[in-house]
Amino acid sequence: MQPREIQAQTDAAMEALIVAQDRLMRVARLATMGEMATCVAHELNQPLTAITTYARACERYLAMPQPDLAEVRDALREISAEGLRAGEVIRRLRQMVRSDEPDALGPVDVNAVVEELRTLLAADARAHGAELRICLTAGLPRISANAVQLQHVLINLARNAFEAVRDSHNVHRRVEIATAFHLGDEIEISVTDNGPGVAQEISDRLFDPFASTKGSGTGLGLAVSRTIVKAHGGTIGTRRDMARGATFYLRFPVLEDCLT
Amino acid sequence: MEKPQRKPVIMVVDDDSGVRNAMRALLKSVGLESQLFASAQEFLATWQPSQPGCLVLDIRMPGMSGLELQEQLNLRGAVIPVIFMTGHGDVPMAVEAMQQGAFDFLQKPFRDQDLLDRIQKALVKDAERRATLGEHNRIRSHLEALTAREREVLDLMTQGKQNKAIAQDLGVSPRTIEIHRARVMEKMNAQSVAELVRMMLDLKHAR
Repeated sequence: MQPREIQAQTDAAMEALIVAQDRLMRVARLATMGEMATCVAHELNQPLTAITTYARACERYLAMPQPDLAEVRDALREISAEGLRAGEVIRRLRQMVRSDEPDALGPVDVNAVVEELRTLLAADARAHGAELRICLTAGLPRISANAVQLQHVLINLARNAFEAVRDSHNVHRRVEIATAFHLGDEIEISVTDNGPGVAQEISDRLFDPFASTKGSGTGLGLAVSRTIVKAHGGTIGTRRDMARGATFYLRFPVLEDCLT
Repeated sequence: MEKPQRKPVIMVVDDDSGVRNAMRALLKSVGLESQLFASAQEFLATWQPSQPGCLVLDIRMPGMSGLELQEQLNLRGAVIPVIFMTGHGDVPMAVEAMQQGAFDFLQKPFRDQDLLDRIQKALVKDAERRATLGEHNRIRSHLEALTAREREVLDLMTQGKQNKAIAQDLGVSPRTIEIHRARVMEKMNAQSVAELVRMMLDLKHAR
């Protein structure tokens, strides 16, 4: 075979690999979304319950011989606020499932990325009986990333954390997402839980496909996350921050023109 | 009968302020008093077991869940009826709650009338339980007024023994037993031996 043919075949193989990888990520993202949809449905139940309950209360207040208009006015105001809140939950979910999102990298503010996830993750935390804390370091420089892919990784890490704390008998189940500088030229996003921690026997293979010890899920969450992070020129890893539990961190180089 | 009844209060525990405030509005619209709590811990910190009413509890909450709160209340021997609010996928949790003695459960979002009906039933149940408890306490205080000998006589009476047999058992005269017997009936505020037997059975089944 001529070198040129070998080159052509290698290029074709690389291209097929990229397509396959792309498809895999999309599937993994949809799988995560499917799981998220369940907890979003749960979260929508809250404003719906408030709205229906307020509405019926209004009817009763209006049916009184002397209608209590002050109560009705308050209730109507709350109804519209709850309606907007429900809409917000759906808007956030739609943002995540946009499949026409280009895979291109661009300057991204990690705090904004985390902030956009707040509603969704708070819903998920609630469904798992956990408290979610978000600690953002203000004024971080931007990184080169694809926001949707980055959010996919964060959702994956957060979901793992929620599941880890869910089954612990800890009364204060806690998951913390933080952003910070790391060694001056990297940005770190960390997800820390106070669950049982990473099992020793799996810690070496944690990011391998199908290494999962969870009863459910695709077994691809962390593997796909690592692929995405690598494509961003970043690293993913674990450490222990609390006496119990686990921390998963993502580190990305700061965009050069953002470093002054 | 003896003391004026305290007004029942519906205690709502839900971490969602929208749901909590809507419940308050609904309960007020039918003249029911409510107290709102954002967490199980907040509820436990101010809870007065003597307050009649019922508890409307979200089954999923960060921190202590509704199920865990129910467990805590059971440990403390609480009698207050608990109505759980659940999401759509929470049926297994609701089943567990029912097994642990929950009064009922409702899926969010619910029809207001369904909630109000269940609350009314829970309040009736709470009043009944409190009346029973009051009756038990009355019997217990009567029992405490008995002397050791009178208590012995009462136990033998409720075993169905006649004066003569009791006198023989305790080694005293039938006449003495008659006096003890009259005292027991008086102190226990009982009209017949049958009533005494019922009182003692009630107490036995109370625990």
